[in-house]
Amino acid sequence: MIAFDAGKATRSALPWLFTFLWIAAIILALLLFVGAPVGEALSGFWNGAFGGRRNAYLMATLSRSALIVGMALSVMLSFRAGLFNIGGEGQLVAGGLVAALVAVLMPGPPLLVLVVAILAAMLAGALWALLAGVLQLFMGVPLLVGSLLLNYPIRYIASYLVAHPYRDVQSGMVQSHLVPQETWFAYFPGTRLDIGILFTAVAAAFALIYSYRTVHGYHTRLNGLSPDFARTVGLPVRRLTLQTLALSGAIAGMVGAIAVFGIHHRYIDGMLVQPLYAWTGIIAVLLVGMVPWAVPISGFFFAAVQTGAAGIERAAGVPKEIALVVQAVIILFVASRVSGALTASRGDGDGHV
Amino acid sequence: MRIDLQDVTVRFGPVTAVDNVSLGIEPGEIHALLGENGAGKSTLMNALFGLVTPASGTIRLDGKARRWASPQDAIAHGLGMVHQHFMLQEEMTVLENIVLCAEPVGRFGFVDFARARSRLDEIAKTHGVAIDLDRRVGRLSVGERQAVEILKVLYREAEVLILDEPTAVLTPQEKDRLFATLKSFREAGKAIVLITHKLDEVMEIADRVSVMRAGRLVASSPLAETSKDEIARGIVGGDLPAARTRKALSPGETVLAVDHLTVARRGRDVGPVSFDLRAGEIVGIAGVSGNGQAELIRALTGLEPVRSGSITLCGNEIQKLDVEARRQGGMSYIPEDRQRMGLALRASVSENANAGRDDAGAFTAGPFLKHGAMAQYARSLIERYRIRVAGPRASASTMSGGNKQKLVVGRELSRNTPLVIAENPTWGVDIGAIDFIHGELMRMRDAGHAILLVSTELDEVIALSDRILVMYDGAIAGEVDGGEASRDRVGALMTSRAADALGAASPGAAA
Repeated sequence: MIAFDAGKATRSALPWLFTFLWIAAIILALLLFVGAPVGEALSGFWNGAFGGRRNAYLMATLSRSALIVGMALSVMLSFRAGLFNIGGEGQLVAGGLVAALVAVLMPGPPLLVLVVAILAAMLAGALWALLAGVLQLFMGVPLLVGSLLLNYPIRYIASYLVAHPYRDVQSGMVQSHLVPQETWFAYFPGTRLDIGILFTAVAAAFALIYSYRTVHGYHTRLNGLSPDFARTVGLPVRRLTLQTLALSGAIAGMVGAIAVFGIHHRYIDGMLVQPLYAWTGIIAVLLVGMVPWAVPISGFFFAAVQTGAAGIERAAGVPKEIALVVQAVIILFVASRVSGALTASRGDGDGHV
Repeated sequence: MRIDLQDVTVRFGPVTAVDNVSLGIEPGEIHALLGENGAGKSTLMNALFGLVTPASGTIRLDGKARRWASPQDAIAHGLGMVHQHFMLQEEMTVLENIVLCAEPVGRFGFVDFARARSRLDEIAKTHGVAIDLDRRVGRLSVGERQAVEILKVLYREAEVLILDEPTAVLTPQEKDRLFATLKSFREAGKAIVLITHKLDEVMEIADRVSVMRAGRLVASSPLAETSKDEIARGIVGGDLPAARTRKALSPGETVLAVDHLTVARRGRDVGPVSFDLRAGEIVGIAGVSGNGQAELIRALTGLEPVRSGSITLCGNEIQKLDVEARRQGGMSYIPEDRQRMGLALRASVSENANAGRDDAGAFTAGPFLKHGAMAQYARSLIERYRIRVAGPRASASTMSGGNKQKLVVGRELSRNTPLVIAENPTWGVDIGAIDFIHGELMRMRDAGHAILLVSTELDEVIALSDRILVMYDGAIAGEVDGGEASRDRVGALMTSRAADALGAASPGAAA
């Protein structure tokens, strides 16, 4: 019996071992190629993702994963409903922009400002996502195209607003004024990690309960698995589509607000676009085949690889481009293993009745 | 080519789908393989074709043991299979579908479509399978799609042809044409395996009959040495149920009234169609597939908008309502396509069973689901409709065709609505399941429900219907009484020889 279990464990661990050997071999080759000290680079990677003085880098990883996981949750809700909403970036920008502007412009007690700003950000994200849904349902623009194209106008609207009417001219940068300091998210005691991750945790709890336990989640899932079936049994497909998009957009908008109040404390042009939060979120969801419970883990993994790659750059003087290649290699190999394993074990309705 | 299957066993996890089966398939012979759904016929053929790997046993082609790495491997060695669910790319043309993966390559590496065309013309001439090569597959009828599948196999020069329930979706005429083609294959020395449920067809065309039950081969002999009764007993493992008796009922109130209904269709609109359906009767709509039945049903169920005319359900006009409202107004629908419309295959049995349920309160608490109540409801359907499946949590895709259909039928009939629309409700299911589903439809009729049965299976329409409407070219070509006596008339109307049959082709013309 014991021998059998050990054999089974070896069998399932073996592919992973090979995956790690491949990753190690390629990274080694890359590092030798640029002449970087291998030991320092590897410890730099680990340190960069999980270490640092007083765990500063671990906190950076967590802070980044708050945004990536948030975006991944947003995308997951759409994808599971069969809606290929790849406009998370636009919804994120809409949320961040509105959050910053409301906080800058609105008078009143800070807590009220903060609450209103976050709600407004969620509303903005929801509306921007709904726009893509309306384009699909009433104008016949496929969601995949509509949601993607809508990323551009909002990005440039945001650029214009913080470059002209609401620019912090003194700073010399293309960015809005700082939001009132009283509205900034607090840090966890003794760290530089803001409480934004709590919002993501709540969103994750919501998304899991929604997916597994609610009537709405059940209906949207059926629509995602077979739109013809959903229509035939009389599910209100259009309404479900719009509601799901609004939900997705609201979460993306909230993530925008987290970035404003937790990290940047203002809207800086490109701050939500350049780090590719939305796209990383999409990959994080696809990596685990849209299985809800795995999405937060996947998002954290991506954040860790990204901050770790930055660590290599710092510690071993590896050029940034090589650090990015290292990051890509890790993602590629792990992704191929994980999604292979998850798709193989699926087919039992995600294990839920 | 001679095929020998020896002691083949196929297991899916703990389930033994094929249990130690040995079978020989001779060239120049049509070999019928019968059995209920889940008896292992398709699995056995899938093993022969390389789609599943047997746990043990050998496959010999002309005496040489073979092990397929993939179906492509089997195809390369002269095996061809036409699956029950066609494997075609809807967006591509007939020609593109046929040459896919076996493209003749021209001088510069381009596909030499001209060469493919001339070869296909030759095949069409020899075996009498003809179809317009440039049409998009998405626009073809089921019968035409099957012809494409057969051409695909012929194009790859198969010596052994496996057909999985080829006649399930065909009209009598299409079936005759298919059988003529199969006979010409037989003469050409090809080996043909025909997986089917229909005994009459076996008696008509087969040379050898093998019967499977619960994964085992229970009988295999030349057709001449067996009889229809013996085969039927082999299939069900006992005596057949007695023929159905019809309770005399005088129809009640009008449940469904369709008045001058027209529906948009490519080419010519469907309609105007008018008819009434009353409580306690089964009205059958017969016709060759593609004569407007699909459009009519989509319009009745709300899946497609109507162009003009009205639909009245239980006294309320419903032609402007959406699917949900129509269902709540008293309509159930058993769709033809259980794979796509009847079920969400990757969802669990429980999730499928509870979809579209009217008494939402029974399995929800506010916005939340009660998984326990859902599973319990699914279990009740599984018991009530004798569905063979591991349990409510199992994925719907794990069920055999007949059990999938029973789940759809069970879900819809247990809603107990005044109107039931059943579209080819026994498409590709086994004798036991057909009998069960027919029994349930009759029970509903006797309980005073109105049933609209749309079927391309003439036997089914004749066996069940109180009245039969025949659709031809988008309109109702005529109405005749149900019962065996009408068979010739219905057949004539189906092929538009209405004038010969009735002298009048107006809707509602009584027989």
